Amino acid sequence: MSTKHAEAATRFISNKKEESWHNETLWMVRAKRDNMAKDVPEWEQLRELSSQIKMHTISHLDKYAEQFAAAAEANGVIVHWAKDDKEHNEIVYKILSDHNAKKLVKSKSMLTEECHLNPYLEQRGIDVVESDLGERILQLDNQPPSHIVMPAIHMTRQEVGKLFEVKLGTEKGNSDPTYLTRAARQHLRNEFMTADVGMTGCNFGVAETGDVVVCTNEGNADMGTSLPKVHIVSMGLEKLIPNHKALSVYSRLLARSATGQPVTSYMSHFRKPREGCEMHIVIVDNGRSEILGNREHIQTLKCIRCGACMNTCPVYRRSGGYSYTYFIPGPIGINLGMLKNPKEYSDNVSACSLCYSCNNVCPAKIDLADQIYRWRQGLDSLGKADKMKKMMSGGMKFLFTHPSLYKTALSMAPIVNSMPRFMIYNGLNDWGKGRELPKFAKESFTSMWKKGKVQKKK
Amino acid sequence: MKVGLFIPCYVNAIFPEVGVASYKLLDSLGVEVDYPLDQTCCGQPMANAGFEDEALPLAQQFEKLFDKYEYIVAPSASCAVFVKENYPKILGKEQHLCQTSGKIYDICEFLHDVLKVDKLPGKFPHKVSVHNSCHGVRELHLSSASELMEPRYSKIKDLLAKVEGVTVLEPEKVDECCGFGGMFSIEEPAVSVCMGQDKVHNHINTGAEYITGADSSCLMHMQGVVNREKLPIKFIHVIQILAAGL
Amino acid sequence: MSSKNDILNNVRRHINDKYDMPDLDNIAAIQYPDKLEKFMQMCKAVGGDARLLVPGEDVNEVIKSLYPEAKVIASNLPEVSIATVNPDNVDDPHDLNGTDLGIIKGELGVAENACVWVPQNVRQKVVYFISEYLVILLDKNEIVNNMHEAYNKLEFNDYGFGIFISGPSKTADIEQSLVVGAHGAKGVMVLLR
Repeated sequence: MSTKHAEAATRFISNKKEESWHNETLWMVRAKRDNMAKDVPEWEQLRELSSQIKMHTISHLDKYAEQFAAAAEANGVIVHWAKDDKEHNEIVYKILSDHNAKKLVKSKSMLTEECHLNPYLEQRGIDVVESDLGERILQLDNQPPSHIVMPAIHMTRQEVGKLFEVKLGTEKGNSDPTYLTRAARQHLRNEFMTADVGMTGCNFGVAETGDVVVCTNEGNADMGTSLPKVHIVSMGLEKLIPNHKALSVYSRLLARSATGQPVTSYMSHFRKPREGCEMHIVIVDNGRSEILGNREHIQTLKCIRCGACMNTCPVYRRSGGYSYTYFIPGPIGINLGMLKNPKEYSDNVSACSLCYSCNNVCPAKIDLADQIYRWRQGLDSLGKADKMKKMMSGGMKFLFTHPSLYKTALSMAPIVNSMPRFMIYNGLNDWGKGRELPKFAKESFTSMWKKGKVQKKK
Repeated sequence: MKVGLFIPCYVNAIFPEVGVASYKLLDSLGVEVDYPLDQTCCGQPMANAGFEDEALPLAQQFEKLFDKYEYIVAPSASCAVFVKENYPKILGKEQHLCQTSGKIYDICEFLHDVLKVDKLPGKFPHKVSVHNSCHGVRELHLSSASELMEPRYSKIKDLLAKVEGVTVLEPEKVDECCGFGGMFSIEEPAVSVCMGQDKVHNHINTGAEYITGADSSCLMHMQGVVNREKLPIKFIHVIQILAAGL
Repeated sequence: MSSKNDILNNVRRHINDKYDMPDLDNIAAIQYPDKLEKFMQMCKAVGGDARLLVPGEDVNEVIKSLYPEAKVIASNLPEVSIATVNPDNVDDPHDLNGTDLGIIKGELGVAENACVWVPQNVRQKVVYFISEYLVILLDKNEIVNNMHEAYNKLEFNDYGFGIFISGPSKTADIEQSLVVGAHGAKGVMVLLR
């Protein structure tokens, strides 16, 4: 009866302390977001503009992609096009081989996660170093991210402390975040100093100028691209925006939505390669162009990967990133997973109470919850509908389309109240896990009305 | 003004007193209320679970029963908004232009926006914590949503303010979901129960004696949690407070 | 270039409805009665700091008093006499590792979020990031209200790199506990003159 998400969520919740910490910590980020947005009187206008800019851009994506590539090339940047993850990885490896590179230092990129770039390169002998602190922690621990902006949010400081003891030789038992961050700073400084190539993702690609805009708080994207001679940018097609005026809108929405900061510490605009160096941009499709043709789900292409939908999602907060089977969790991840492979990732569609909070926080106004509702309508034809739900829905339809039967059922319902407790709260009753069943009234409203007990006596 | 009263299935079977209060209040305000006897369910439970097609015959049945009224009023924000937002799409698939979606109101919305009630007769000398339900807030706009940077308002609180003696409170995380979500509650029982517990505790922490709201389904879910854990708070549909003394 | 064509053709084939670009010239964006004051307040709010130089005050003296322990000081600004290294004369950016203090020039400050626009104005831009502490000199008349105004005004130069810097490097990746100084500067002071 239950989905993989529901099962994993049950395990996550069984550790009440951890669940509660996760829930409250992410709620705090949501609250910070609210505070930041409150200080911008034109907030809702910005969200609307952001949505419109993205819809315009993706519906003219061929034009903007060509314009962007031409501008970048005119700036001396080498532009590559990758149809899918495989081609993306091959291109990146080719650039590394051409430069005889052994060590690649990366800043955060969900796209390279999507393409499984790291294992691909590691198998070919490349030393891949994630430089975002959270990503580095997970890389050292051999885990995937559990949140797209706060990748190690599920780990405690003690766990990080223990990991660093083993991997970085930090003091035993010291789990002070400042101490651990300083240790990572020193460790990664050495990595930056010895990297052959630096790689970044891309928050925004500006078509008019060819700028690649990357936002970080740590400065790791900049460290990684100011030292080595080669910079590779991995950019999804949907990251394009027309110009700097459009960029000004996103620059006000992104960090406020993501972490509740007015802006990230660093917002870098890479236009040309450094003197004597090379800059490559790999523009990746990997299924994005097909989403353009999907009217029900096209809005996922507006996503700017801020993670606000996760922070507000009451289900994500209480079930953790790993309860989802797709590598991006939360409302946007449910949708992107289904677009990637509906048969494989349908287990996440249950992870939504249709509260619609995600729609309201999304800085691009993606109809996230509506899309989840629509995916549910398609599960049955995929053979992925829950059998119990299907049976219940069918039964309800039968009952509700037969008013006389419905009335009989209403009059019989109170009998359930007097059923022995063990019959009601057996292991098969999912409602009974943590809740008592409601008591049926002695007499239904319909019956009272029929007998004239409701109406005022005329 | 002729109003067709829509009493959703679970209100009918479990909370008929909510239907009675709805009738009494509307009647006391001079509204002519009719109750078509063959009504059943709006179809939302099936649709939200992924079986929207099962809701089609129910939508057709609903259209037939309620088309003749000037207004359709239901004491359930969630059911009202399902008819309002989803029926046109569901019936549109059969090339039927939905007539009822433009006429349906949640009863609070009807009292506030259509009847523009300015005084209520009753007293309710108790502390209540308002449950701002997801569909009431984010789809029907009964109150401003906490995520949106818009002027704060609450039609429910406006109405409660007209009842003598009532102290109106709101929980922390003012419009977070209670975890009901229709079949979500049984497909994801662990998360659903956890959300319900958190929500109930936030309501209890206000010091209220009652949790009240416009959606009986949320109240039913939270009541299940409260009864299991034997927690010290009671439930009452907002319409029962507004109809106090009738 | 077949992948390029394949991708673009795929894009063209799948586009259905076309949407217009909204008007971005008339956004009623936030304005502050005192932009400078708001900017300075935001510098502190993002974990950095700002100071208004009084007429006659010497930049070098002020910086020395703020960072008395800085030994390796990198700057290419002519008015900075306390610099020990000029990043314009450094061939290998790695050589700048170990810089205690970088002193650079910003072109534009943004009141709403403490951003300072720094178009690359030094040969080795790593100095912006690798220095333990960073001082940014900024003209106090070059403060704008918001990012729309900033993007309308900012300029690039031939280096082809520009950055908004708002406060020091920071992270909250361990239990959402804020730590200043992840990879870049542990402190950023904006000196307004």
